[in-house]
Amino acid sequence: METTFTHVARTAAQAALVVLAAPLVTGFIQKLKARLQCRRGASVWQPYRDLAKLLRKGTVQSDTASPFFRAIPVLVLAATVTTTAMLPVLWAPLGVATLPLGDAILLVALLALARFLLAIGALDAGGAFGGMGASREMTVGLLVEPALMLAVFSVAVSGGTTDVGLLAARREALALSWTAPDLLALIAMLILALAETGRIPVDNPDTHLELTMLHEGMLLEHSGPGLACIVLATHVKQLVILTLVAALFLPLGLARGSAPVEIALALGAFALKVVALATYLGLVESSYAKLRLFRVPQFLGLGFVCAFLALALRVL
Amino acid sequence: MSVELATRLIDVLGGLLLFTMLLILVAGQVFRAIYAVAAQAVFLGIAGAVLAAATGNVDLWIIAGITIVAKAVFLPWLLIRVVRRVHISREIESVIPAHLTLTLAAGIVVLAFHLNASLGPVRQAITGNALPVGLTLILIGVLVMASRRKALVQMVGLFASENGIFFTAMAISQGMPLIIEIGVILDVVLGALVMGILVLRVRSSVDTDIADLESLKG
Repeated sequence: METTFTHVARTAAQAALVVLAAPLVTGFIQKLKARLQCRRGASVWQPYRDLAKLLRKGTVQSDTASPFFRAIPVLVLAATVTTTAMLPVLWAPLGVATLPLGDAILLVALLALARFLLAIGALDAGGAFGGMGASREMTVGLLVEPALMLAVFSVAVSGGTTDVGLLAARREALALSWTAPDLLALIAMLILALAETGRIPVDNPDTHLELTMLHEGMLLEHSGPGLACIVLATHVKQLVILTLVAALFLPLGLARGSAPVEIALALGAFALKVVALATYLGLVESSYAKLRLFRVPQFLGLGFVCAFLALALRVL
Repeated sequence: MSVELATRLIDVLGGLLLFTMLLILVAGQVFRAIYAVAAQAVFLGIAGAVLAAATGNVDLWIIAGITIVAKAVFLPWLLIRVVRRVHISREIESVIPAHLTLTLAAGIVVLAFHLNASLGPVRQAITGNALPVGLTLILIGVLVMASRRKALVQMVGLFASENGIFFTAMAISQGMPLIIEIGVILDVVLGALVMGILVLRVRSSVDTDIADLESLKG
């Protein structure tokens, strides 16, 4: 049994890794998209430069915004980074942790909290686009979150726990014997991941065209370091979702101890899984057009029914 | 091939069949629905081949081959030809809203599992979820037929429903006798041909829509 101290140290190391690597994933997807469009594209390090630039700038704030508005970016980032504590990024726990930090339900709840704070902030500033972006984002959230829970539950039933780390450890021991429910849950997760990461069939991360944007609409009133926090939170959320998919369906190569070789292997496996999933996001984004907003419920409905089927096959 | 491996493969293929079924259900364009039903027929053919390898039943090899040739190649080709020839609009119009269809599909899943449970123990050739999956496929196929306006898409629903019947038959009894299977496939092909000719003829002589036939009812 690992001690509380190693548990906390590992969680902190994982959080640091996710926060540091998250902009790189976005950079990778942008580079991939540029390549597929026969452009040279910005360097993969561009998101870091953008963040550094934003951190150096001052803050401009709407007169109508309440004092709470200033706190929102930090709270959003905090809620998003906290979710990494519930994920097996590099280490799989050996048993129930002495200091349990939370499970998949808390993870989804924290993501919902970040979404809620962001929407509240957008409404608080009083801009028209903020309100519109917030209302759209909440509509999408309403459709994504229950389906995400269903998909997670369908896997959790097979592992007998909702702790993602334990789930990954137990499923790794099962030698990845995939069954129909796993397949359907994976398909559901891949559909929902597109919505949760704000990618093209649902939202377009590149555009600031007012009629099409969901997530970007909520960021318009933020500036400077506050905007940097929210942008970083968006990168982190994307990596968290990808890690969740990897932990639920490809729990391979997770480290158990602290030997350097083991950690290096886990790091390599993590990088491979994230690159594979990020490539999927980039390919989908390059080959599909954005759906009309009123068609989005149908697209996400497919994810919901897939997740429902996965749970039905597992439980009924 | 061992029976356990065959059972697992059939299980996964059942999942893929269900997914293609959902794709047919949410397809917004005629071509997507046709491609999805072709993919479904390919998975069905693979399922037949897996069962043939597991049980050593030669008939199943023939049925798997016919399924892939007739349902995954010939019928989709025919449907695409008809769509190209009559220049119908490629948007699928449905009688009830799409989200309601999806809700009904979720209800059908529960219903199929309930039916399966109420049947009591059924001696299946392949254990697992094959029977409820097959039932779900049949019923969602009927849902597609009932909820779409275009004759072509209703035809796609019929093929999908038929795929479900084949899957159920294979999983429960290792396939029906060869002569019956061939007869059923011939029926489907004939139905598709008649539908294709009818659509082409109706279109060329009176230029109407299936929904217009409603007004002929007394």
